[in-house]
Formats: sequence, C-alpha cells, structure tokens
Amino acid sequence: MEEVRSLAKSWLESRKVDAILGLREKNGHIAPHLFTETNELESLTILSHIGEINSKYFSSNRSQRYKKNVLFLLEQNYPNAKIGIVARGCDERALIELAKRDQLNLEKIEILGVACTKEEAMNCRCPKPYPTKLDVGKRVEKNSSDMNVEALLKKSLPERFSFWKYELSKCIKCYGCRNVCPLCFCEDCEMEQDLWVKVGQLPSEIPTFHFIRWYHIADRCIECGECEKACPVDIPLLTIFKLLRTDIKELFDYEAGLDVKQEAPLLTTLDETPLKE
Amino acid sequence: MMKYENVLTTCPYCGAGCNFYLQVLDGELIGMLPCKSHVVSQGKLCIKGWNAHEFVYSKDRLTKPLIKRDGAFVAISWGEALDIIVTKFKEYVKKYGPDSIGVLSSAKCTNEENYLMMKFTRGVLGTNNVDHCARLCHASTVVGLVASFGSGAMTNSIGELENSDCILVTGSNTTEQHPLVVRYIMRAKEKVSKLIVVDPRAIPLTRFADFHLRQRPGTDVAWINGFMNVIINEGLEDRKFIEERTEGFEEMAKTVRKYTPGYVENVTGIPKEDLIEAARTYAKADRASIVYSMGITQHTTGVNNVRSCANLAMLTGNVGKPSTGVNPLRGQVNVQGACDLGALPNVYCGYQSVTDEKIREKFEKAWKTKLSAKLGLTVVEMINEAYDGNIKMMYIMGENPMLSDPDINHVREGLKNLEFLVVQDIFLTETAQIADIVLPAASFAEKEGTFTATDRRVQMVRKAIEPIGESRPDWQIICDLSRRMGSREFEYSSPADVMDEIASLTPIYRGIVYERIKETGLQWPCPSRDHPGTPFLHKGSFSKGKGNFAALEFKESAELPDEVYPLILTTGRIMFHFHTGTMTRRTEILNREVPTGYVEINPIDAEKIDVAEGEPVLVQSRRGEINIKALITERVPEGVIFIPFHFAECAANVLTNPALDPVAKIPELKVAAVRIRTRPLSPNKD
Repeated sequence: MEEVRSLAKSWLESRKVDAILGLREKNGHIAPHLFTETNELESLTILSHIGEINSKYFSSNRSQRYKKNVLFLLEQNYPNAKIGIVARGCDERALIELAKRDQLNLEKIEILGVACTKEEAMNCRCPKPYPTKLDVGKRVEKNSSDMNVEALLKKSLPERFSFWKYELSKCIKCYGCRNVCPLCFCEDCEMEQDLWVKVGQLPSEIPTFHFIRWYHIADRCIECGECEKACPVDIPLLTIFKLLRTDIKELFDYEAGLDVKQEAPLLTTLDETPLKE
Repeated sequence: MMKYENVLTTCPYCGAGCNFYLQVLDGELIGMLPCKSHVVSQGKLCIKGWNAHEFVYSKDRLTKPLIKRDGAFVAISWGEALDIIVTKFKEYVKKYGPDSIGVLSSAKCTNEENYLMMKFTRGVLGTNNVDHCARLCHASTVVGLVASFGSGAMTNSIGELENSDCILVTGSNTTEQHPLVVRYIMRAKEKVSKLIVVDPRAIPLTRFADFHLRQRPGTDVAWINGFMNVIINEGLEDRKFIEERTEGFEEMAKTVRKYTPGYVENVTGIPKEDLIEAARTYAKADRASIVYSMGITQHTTGVNNVRSCANLAMLTGNVGKPSTGVNPLRGQVNVQGACDLGALPNVYCGYQSVTDEKIREKFEKAWKTKLSAKLGLTVVEMINEAYDGNIKMMYIMGENPMLSDPDINHVREGLKNLEFLVVQDIFLTETAQIADIVLPAASFAEKEGTFTATDRRVQMVRKAIEPIGESRPDWQIICDLSRRMGSREFEYSSPADVMDEIASLTPIYRGIVYERIKETGLQWPCPSRDHPGTPFLHKGSFSKGKGNFAALEFKESAELPDEVYPLILTTGRIMFHFHTGTMTRRTEILNREVPTGYVEINPIDAEKIDVAEGEPVLVQSRRGEINIKALITERVPEGVIFIPFHFAECAANVLTNPALDPVAKIPELKVAAVRIRTRPLSPNKD
C-alpha cells in the first residue's frame, strides 16, 4: 500500500503524470477518484473493505447510448494530459482490450501495475492476478483450475441445461452485467432490441437475452467477473465466461486483454481482413 | 483543473435504500457505479437504480419559478414567486383560519425537508393539515403495527431475510417493487428456506415458491384467520411466547375458531389442503418472516389485515428475533422517514401525538410558537375538503396526487376548486400543470440530507452536482418561505443543523448525527449518541410492553363485483416504472422496456369479452373509464384484472375506489368493481 502511495507521489511530483486514477477511501467506502495533489494520496487505497477488488473502475455509464470510459472522457476534456492509473491484472487486460477497440488511447495513460495477493486472486477466481507491467507486489500464480467450472462440467448435458435454465429464470433484467462490463460499450445494444428479445418481460426471455451478450463479448471478455458480482440474483456468469474464453482460445488461439496488437477473431472476416467496429 | 470523483449517495427510488456512487467529472454527472460495500445493495442494483441518474439532466427539468397567467405558465423570479405565495398564505390564514390551508409533504424528499415542512405547516401556518403519500401505501401499517406491537415499522432488517427458514410473502410483488430485497429472499430459498406466496396474481416470485395461494382480492383477514385456526388446532402455536409476551390470545383464538380451512376456502378460494400445508410450514419454521406490502394495506380493512399479520407472527413467536418478524416493505425511498419526521396530521416527529398536551408544550417551547391541538386532515380528506370549498389553498411538495390518488376525476375537481395551488417539484407533473405557482426543486443529486430506508436505516444523500438552472433544494425553499412569513426559527446553515434539531426533539432519532452515519447507516431506534442502532425490534419485550392480539372478523371490500361491474380491478406497479412515472418515464431504457400501460386479463375472461392480445379496450368503473390495451395472461385469475398505475394516459386511478379504512384513512386501491367493453380506438363515451 505504502509502495503504491509513494510511487504515485513520485509520479505526480516528477510530472510523469498529471493525475492518478485510483481508489479512494471515504466515508468507510471505497470508490474511484482522480488524485491531482500529492496531499490527497493518503486516502489512496488498493483494497476494499470486503476483500474484493473494486476493479474496472474506469467504466462510466451515462447511458448505454454514451457509455464511454472515464479515461476516454478525460482525454476529451484534457487532450494533453497524461493520466496514471493504478491497475490490477484485470484492469490492465481491460485497458488493452479497450485500446484495441478504439475506446481509449494507451499513449495518454501510464499504468501503475499492482499484483494481487493469493487470497484476492482466489476470491476473484482470477486467471492472471497480476498486470504484465508490474510495479508493486509479487506475482502469485494463477488458479490452475476453477471449482465451479469443474463441478458444472461433471454434470450431464441435460443437467447442465436445466442448471442454466434455472439460473437464468432468476434474472430480474437489471442489465447490471452489461452496465458493469468494461467491454460492453455498443451504443445500440442488441439486448435492448425487440428484434431479438421481447421487451418489458420478466423474467427476461430465456435464453436469448443472455446469449446475445455472451456471444457478443465472447472474444472481449477479460474474465474480471464484475458481471457476476453485479448480479442481484447470483447468476454464475463468471463460470460461463470462463468456458467461453476457453473455447475462444481453442478455436482461434486468442486471449482477450493480453496484447494490444493481437487482432480479435470476431473483428476479422473469414479472409482475415480486419473489420471496422 | 481536472476533477473526477465519485459521490456515495442513496438511490431515490424504492425503500430498499440501495447506495451507489454518482460519477462526477468537472462538475458534470457522467454516470454511476454500484457500491460493493453497501449493506443492502452489495454492488448490485435494479434497472431503475442503474439509471437513476438519467432524469437529472432531463430537458423537462423545471429551471425557473413559474406563474400561471391567462392559462399559461410564465417564468418569474424567486423573490416574486415567494412573495406572492406568502401573501396568499397570510390572506387565507387571516380570512378563513389556518385550517383552510392543506400541505402535502413528500416521501421523495429528505428527512430534514420533511421535518421542516411539518414544522412550517404547524409552527408558521398554524395547522396540522400536513400529510403525504404514506397515506396511500402504508398508513394501515403505521396504525396497525403500533396497535399490535407499539412500533409501526418493519421489525427486522432486509439482509436478515437471507437466514429465514420460511418466508411468507403476501401482497408484495417483491421482485418488481423491491428488487434488491428479493435478492435476500432468493438467497434464503436457495439455502433451506420455504417460500409461501399468497397473492391473487402470479408474480415472478411464485415460480420459486413452495406454495402459491391465490386468494380472492380483499379476503386477507379470512385466510390469515384460517392459518391461525390450523396452527391452534394442531397445537403448533408458541405457548411460551404467547403467555410471556402477549395479551388477548383467548379472544383471538375464539374468533378464529370458525375460520376452518373449509370455511376459508369458501370465502377466499384457497383450496383447504394448500392452506393447511402452508400454515403448518410457516408454524414449524424456526425463523419465519412475513413480508408484505400494499396488497395487505390498501384496503378498507387495511389495518385489520396488518394486525392479522402481526397476530400470525406473535402466535408462532416470530417477533423479536433475527430473521423473523413482520416486514412491511415501504415503497418510496423516504416514506419511512417522512412518517418518522411527522409529515402526518396527527403526530410530530417520532410519532409524538399532537393531542398530547405535554408533547405539544415541548414543541411550542422548541419552536417558540403556539401550536394547534386539532388533528389535521389526511390526503384524501384534504381533497374532499377542497372539493367542498373548505380548503382554499394547498402547498404540495414532490407529490403527484393527480395520478397517485384514487378517483382522479374527483381529485382534479377538488384541486381545481382551490383558490390557490402551489406545487414544488423537479418536473411539471400532472399536478403541477394545474397549479397557480410552480417552484423548481433540486433533485437528489443536487442536495444533501438523509433518507430512512424501509428497515429504519438512516442513510446519507450527498450532493454531487450544483442544482440545475435556478432550481433550489426543498429545504432552502421552505426556510426562505418561513423567513418571509416572519419566522426566525428557520436559520440553518446546512441539513446537518436540521438533523441536530430533529435529534433533540425525537427520541427514536436522538443519537443520530451526520458524523455517525457511516458505512451502514444507523437504524432507529437510536436513543443516544453511543447507541449502535437497532437491527430488529421488540427483542425481549414489545415497544409497548406486551404485544396485543386482535380478534378480527373478515369483512368484505367496500365495492364487490356485481352484474353491472362483474370484474375485480386490482392495481399495482411493475419493474420498469416507478409510481407516477415522473422520473422513470423520462428514462430511455425504462420507456423502451414498457412505453405505456396495459390491462392484464385472464384468457377465460378475454374470451367472454371477446378481446384479443394487444387490442384496445375500455375499462369502466362507477367513477370513470379509461382506454387501454389488453394483455391476455394467466398472471391474473379469472374474474380479476390488473392495471399498473404509472401511466397518465391510461390511469388506473381514474377507476379506483376512494372508500377509506375507517382508522388509517387509506383508500381501497386494491379492489374495485369494473367492466370491460371492447371498442374501436376512439375514446368516445358510452
């Protein structure tokens, strides 16, 4: 913690960055904050009270029609500013994937990479609990397997089918999984289209409502698990995305969030020509 | 200088009291983030909460005071507007006395604002004519639970539901009206809990219920007496609890003797086998919770329904322990607080009676003024008195009776009959449209204060951005008006000052100061600065000492279906909209989900009426008629139709019955006799 603060301080003092986006503790709760003064840094924190990382905190959702991340908005308001960002492994993956899709400019940001502890990595069922650019903390190795995924795969196909049917029937259509997702930024979200999903219906149409999102971000998902954490009825969304990511890896030898230069498979046509988003 | 921060605040919609962060970049609201460490919302929200920031920047926001001249609104300055209002107040007080003025406070406003509004009404105007929409939703809860337990609030906390062994949900479509409360019901269900739903409609929760008992609307006392009949017959009552902690058991037991499962089946339509099994399940649970809402309260027998729920809980010893209790879910974010702070015609803050001389003296001393001992008028009574010409002027803050109250045609006539109407709101609501002066108020994102959630949890509302246009926070408007009326008792530097005064006068809030409202808020009763707050009530003994059983006979609703009006209309709310739609209908995604109203009709009735899905129909009651499209569904049983009340263009409350519960004065919004006519699109009369 102190290491992060002192690094942040030196970055601000040396004008390496104009501001640092990180988490701040206030009123007993932890939320994103843009630190512009070194004397604010004592409230900078990397931990949340309940042992959960408040990741992907650079998302914003004024409305789905204008869902731009905070770094994009900062660049719009301050084109010359350089922003430091305290990033865990998942944050870094999200930043890379967003940059790949023209949602932010990596040249305008400086990552202050922080590794997660073993306990944090377990809590998040994280596949890679450290950023590639590591400034603070020690790498702990990823979880080699996931209990929930294994338990699911042990079931027969009909059992898995009824498992998902039940889980999805709990959905209260809050769109929280989409809203919180750092990679869900389409202006015309297909989940809202009457063409695919009957609007105004509870439970949401099964399984179309969910399938649309799952397929749509299959090659974007960076496995942060924020969708599952945002679900009011505990639908195990991280489990399905772990499986989807495995499929994408096997089918296309692709992993979202690793390398900004790696072309996303669903952005390319069959003859490998990149499509514009 | 670039500035980006996140301001933690309380969601302005339902009484669950979820918290979230408003994201502010350079003074502009750019979005919101859920709060993972909040005790109820835990980083999750419903669709309304996720979009609660959108209406703040709506182009329809009121930005200037308006006055109606020659039938059209024109903008005037704050000074002019307030001076005209003050002149009118003084004129009517002088000419007709203070009781010629009626005030509606607001469950959408903060505790501090409700306190100031009732202090203004009582201390400056000199009348007890102050009420708010709690009258329409949980007036029967406040009265009924006080009579049974001594305190009119939810006994336990939302999160405790997760550890219940049995949850009985009745008259609450929890999934749609309190989505973050249903989280805990679903978690309980996925552990061990049994779930009993008693509701005429199939609601989202019934898909997960062990029992779905579909009573005929308005027969709640009968089925609850039936439950108690079964429990007593089978010796499943908690003898020790009854003897040590309650009074009136024998008389109650005598009354329920005739409510045998067979008798109850005849009255309610609930098959007797189901009733017996469900009653056993509830009684045998170690920790059983009752969750209810307006399906219980909005009846002419609302108080009896509430007291029946209390009876059932006491009979089985399910009060005063964690994960049990009688849990009314309050609909508006601060309807609990508006009641707590005395925006009611019979009590000051903290439910202290205006007719109690000692209490009145306390407030007279604190406010340095003489106070009226005469009980004030309730919401529906004010409208009636306006209609009759006895109320001359009304001051309405953040309420929309033109859509929320029963028998809207009558409401319109009443309000139009006023000599002067002032409405203070964030939008030009249906009610504001008929006002003489409209004052623009700041929204939740633009002011500071506290809200009290349904589980008595006092939480912070924090200012994220400056008020839009010339709009001002309600508390400042009330203080300004009071000063112009000549009062010196409204000098506050901030809402925190107001809370200090509230604490000094309100025993249940005595220990509440802003600095103490931190991670989890503070749950009242909080009688001192070092008191940690109270997660569940009635531990060891009831607030009133012993709990009171009530011996209650079933009574029919005021208006029953007959040959002319053969169907029962029941009204309610849906997931995607909130109350009169003032905020949700200005939110894009919610409108996209459900753009307008509909009437749910059972397929058997639809065939009799000869109407198909999506066709327009005319729904008529003795009070009015509306055009609305049909939705054919088995969600409603045969003989019952359902209409959500959010939509002005097909307002359910044109049809509803203003008959009142004799004690709580709550109208019977859940049962009215109606008929359906199929017709072409044009809304011409019969």
